[in-house]
Amino acid sequence: MSVPNKRLGERLKNIIDSHGSKNTAAILGALITTIALTVCITLIWPFGDVIEQIFAGGTFFFVFWAALFYWAILATNGRHAWLRILSVLVIAIVIIIFSLLIK
Amino acid sequence: MQQKTHKTLYSSHSWIGIISGILLFIVTFSGIPALFDHEIEYWQYPIFSEQQSKQQEKVFDLERTIQASKEINFQHEKFFIQPANDINNHIIFAHFYEDKEPDLRYLNASNYQEFPPSPSELNHLLAHLHTDLHLPNPWGRYLVGLSGMAMLLAIIAGIFIHLKWRKEFVMLRPKRSWRLLLTDQHKLLGLWSLPFTLILAFTGTILGLLGLISPILALAAFNGDVEKATVAVLGPRAEITGEYAPVYPLNTLFDQLEIDLPNTSVELIQVDGLQASASDQHTELMADVGGIIKFSGYHKDKLSNLETVTYNLTSGEKIHQGSFVGKGPFQRIFAAVTPLHYVLFGNTWLKVFYALSALAACGLILTGNILWLHRRGHGMEHWLSKLTLGICGGLVVATSLTFAGSQILYGLNLAPDSGLHHHAEEWVFWSSWLLMILAPFVIKDGFKLSHYLLRLTSIGFIVTLLADGFINNRWLWLTEGWILTIQLSLLVSALLFIYLDWKMPNQVSKKS
Repeated sequence: MSVPNKRLGERLKNIIDSHGSKNTAAILGALITTIALTVCITLIWPFGDVIEQIFAGGTFFFVFWAALFYWAILATNGRHAWLRILSVLVIAIVIIIFSLLIK
Repeated sequence: MQQKTHKTLYSSHSWIGIISGILLFIVTFSGIPALFDHEIEYWQYPIFSEQQSKQQEKVFDLERTIQASKEINFQHEKFFIQPANDINNHIIFAHFYEDKEPDLRYLNASNYQEFPPSPSELNHLLAHLHTDLHLPNPWGRYLVGLSGMAMLLAIIAGIFIHLKWRKEFVMLRPKRSWRLLLTDQHKLLGLWSLPFTLILAFTGTILGLLGLISPILALAAFNGDVEKATVAVLGPRAEITGEYAPVYPLNTLFDQLEIDLPNTSVELIQVDGLQASASDQHTELMADVGGIIKFSGYHKDKLSNLETVTYNLTSGEKIHQGSFVGKGPFQRIFAAVTPLHYVLFGNTWLKVFYALSALAACGLILTGNILWLHRRGHGMEHWLSKLTLGICGGLVVATSLTFAGSQILYGLNLAPDSGLHHHAEEWVFWSSWLLMILAPFVIKDGFKLSHYLLRLTSIGFIVTLLADGFINNRWLWLTEGWILTIQLSLLVSALLFIYLDWKMPNQVSKKS
């Protein structure tokens, strides 16, 4: 790797590891993941009718947001925070795709 | 708990608090008058209390009410009726326009005679600050919801960082340093009001952000069709066909509610599709064959304010019923949100307890902000100290002065339909708040200014009582019922602020 590329890589790594990145993961990343999880819950909630499914998603929205916020904020650095958030987001998206395909 | 985790949670708690503190104070403090919306409405306009019926049981005659709306030339196809409730003995008709002020009419619930609408809108002024911050819809509501979410996050971190809660439950060291006093007060207020603040934050967040998450929920369940989701939950809208037929006997439908909505207090009736104009006011009422009448209310025994039943206006057929009683756990949680937030259950003492807890939450927010500034060595010269004192203290002063202004304005005998009374109230509120926001930039001594603000607040409440006595002849010893309750609340508030003024130090203790 050439020197400028190495420097760019280091700067990128520093940005991803930073507190700013961790806070962004906790606020924005957690919000996006919460939306995906809410859709996921609404689609697969096994109990009750469609209205019960909607309200289950609605109630869990705030619980997920708060839980994901603190899970990300308690990570050692920004990279770990994003890894935590993205791991949940990927699982949620996979479940959404499968349940939409089955529907 | 690991020290690093504790430190991170502590840091999150402080930063969330300091970023959202002032906004949270506005929302929490304005929640106190919003809690007593109906009571303040009843007190603010002396004519409302003159409408009281001597009859013990109020009987609501829906047909006579609709007929009366025609007699007073309230000609709208779509409108709302708010029947009399436990506090107010008047019926309100409301039609909402998209681009102008709503058409509101008031009827005495005993004799169905119209009387002039309230020139004062003090209750709306204060309640809208709580629900929308007087910002355009829906942005104000979202901001209130986000502040609730911030409160929820701060509370969660606060629970985990205060591990010695048994000791902190009773610890107050008033003779030690200013910083210790603030810390003890913050922990005491936080711990004692914890169950209440947790409930309020959670329910407030749902109420504020429901509009924002509805499309997400509709996306999953109804392919993004919010309208379809709304209809599924709250019932259908009228399908206007242009074909008219006589209206089904409305009192029969109202009696049917005993079976369809048992133990429910009907708070709102929505009529859509009633023929707007009739050549002879006493002829049979006509409605569109697709017209509807929807009754909404809250259950008297269970926590649910989402009880609805919709009938066709001409056939009387039940089109939709939305009851959340006995349904799944999440439907019951959502149905309980508004009753839990606005205390639509229990008695007046429970409301008083909520109000005191809200006041404790205000103290919690204020002590948190001052503590954050003090720990960083910032005194009154810091802009955040000035804003905290100006905005938070200013709101309390502006509220008390607007109460006083609202009664003094009756002495000027402004025309009820001119809107001058209401506009003057708004002017008093916003201008006095702005003045108080600017005050810390002129008066540098924060303690001195705090004393002035506390005295001004108590003076405002005392002047309110005096103005009510002199102008409306409603002296404390002559009134009864809700008027007396509100007046006593104002007196207790005045005494509370006098007490706080007395206990407040004049400078930072040298021990800090």
